[in-house]
Amino acid sequence: MNEKYRLKKWQDLPAGGVITEGGNAADYETGAWRTWKPVWRKEHCIHCLTCWVFCPDGAFLLQDGRTAGGKDRKEIREIDYSHCKGCGLCVRECPVNKQRKGPAIEFVREET
Amino acid sequence: MAEAMRQINPDVVAAFPITPSTQIIEDFATFVADGKVTTELITVESEHSAMSACLGAATAGGRVMTATSANGLALMWEMLYIAASMRQPIVMTVVNRALSGPINIHCDHGDSMGARDAGWIQIYAENNQEAYDNMVMAPVIAEHMDVRLPLMVCLDGFIISHSIETMELEEDQAVRNFIGPYRGLHPLLDTDHPVTWGALDLHDYYIEHKRGQYAAIETAQSVIEDVSERFYRTFGRKYDLFESYRLEDAERVIVAINSVAGEIKEVVDSLREAGERVGLLKIRVFRPFPYAQIARALRGAKVVIVLDRSTSMGAYGPLFGEIRTALYDVEPRPLVYNRTFGLGGRELFPDDIRELFAEGERCLQNGKVEKTFDFLNVRGD
Repeated sequence: MNEKYRLKKWQDLPAGGVITEGGNAADYETGAWRTWKPVWRKEHCIHCLTCWVFCPDGAFLLQDGRTAGGKDRKEIREIDYSHCKGCGLCVRECPVNKQRKGPAIEFVREET
Repeated sequence: MAEAMRQINPDVVAAFPITPSTQIIEDFATFVADGKVTTELITVESEHSAMSACLGAATAGGRVMTATSANGLALMWEMLYIAASMRQPIVMTVVNRALSGPINIHCDHGDSMGARDAGWIQIYAENNQEAYDNMVMAPVIAEHMDVRLPLMVCLDGFIISHSIETMELEEDQAVRNFIGPYRGLHPLLDTDHPVTWGALDLHDYYIEHKRGQYAAIETAQSVIEDVSERFYRTFGRKYDLFESYRLEDAERVIVAINSVAGEIKEVVDSLREAGERVGLLKIRVFRPFPYAQIARALRGAKVVIVLDRSTSMGAYGPLFGEIRTALYDVEPRPLVYNRTFGLGGRELFPDDIRELFAEGERCLQNGKVEKTFDFLNVRGD
């Protein structure tokens, strides 16, 4: 297990469960909740970023890229499986999947 | 109690009137109207709202107080637990009254005893002086940085709350010096350091938070002892976790809470004059419960009679449960039994207490308890 996600001891928690910093959901692993897992198929992806918009956990990580015409754009780099809860929204909303091309995001049973 | 609140001058009081605690907030409202305090008094539409407003004001970063009784306390139920688990040092006077039904306004301890697991510190008072003194100590205990827990100061409805007694009030400045300024812990109004209070907690953290809360109320015991000691050095009145009244060589001991203790002391004194080895252990701090200290104090006792002024339907009384647990490891283990009395304001007379001690003597002679549990002064038995 990633040391970053190790759960704290009771002595290390602030009194009353107060949260003293913003954005700390990044330090909390929700990946273990999955029963179904989205798998990104780079070869079919058109980088429209619909999945990135819909993902409730910010689990689609981006990188800088270029269109075929040479314009700057953001592209999908990978899925952050430490935070993806396997809700399947990306699979449902992916326009490539809807056109029955690809698929660009497959939904497969989580291996146990 | 209102005088103590005037001296403490809390930032916020949110309250809803309910007999017999009403007088406290009425008197305090007069202090607010007369400009004798700078408190923001929030008059709300129910006790649920009263405790919610207290909680909001406390998380904002204020020193907060309120008062209630019986059904009012019951209506606060949800927020009692939240105030304790959010570790907000709210101080509340609970004027003990029977919790319906049938509806009744007189004294018993069913209200605060029902709230004993909510995570609040509970301190009980025999008379007005003790109630005032506990109130002066309350913010110091609750706001201690190793504690940060809400605290109930409990006293008997009408018997104490509406009786005139001679008592010593301390100087305003002396009380304020004793209490000191309020120090917030992650207050919401500190906008340079934004925080989130009351976030969701799941199975992977909830029990850790509860464990920390438990540690805090355990720590409260030594803090109560320290603050009581400082109170004694400052104002000259001595308080322990419980009061040991003529316990040194006592064979038969009554354990009781609040105003009935005054009457028991009278009976103990008269029986002592007749050479009987009787005594009283009066509970002051019920949460956290001082098991080890009480076991030590009762080590020489042969018969321990526990008086509960509340009833846990289908079970023994709540005080009895604690006392018998505390005595389990005492060698030789004394005989111990439970009597429920005084529900809804039913009187207990000195002759009843003499009879209790006489029954204790019979148990001592026969080497066994006559009845583990019974009601006192109820028609039909």
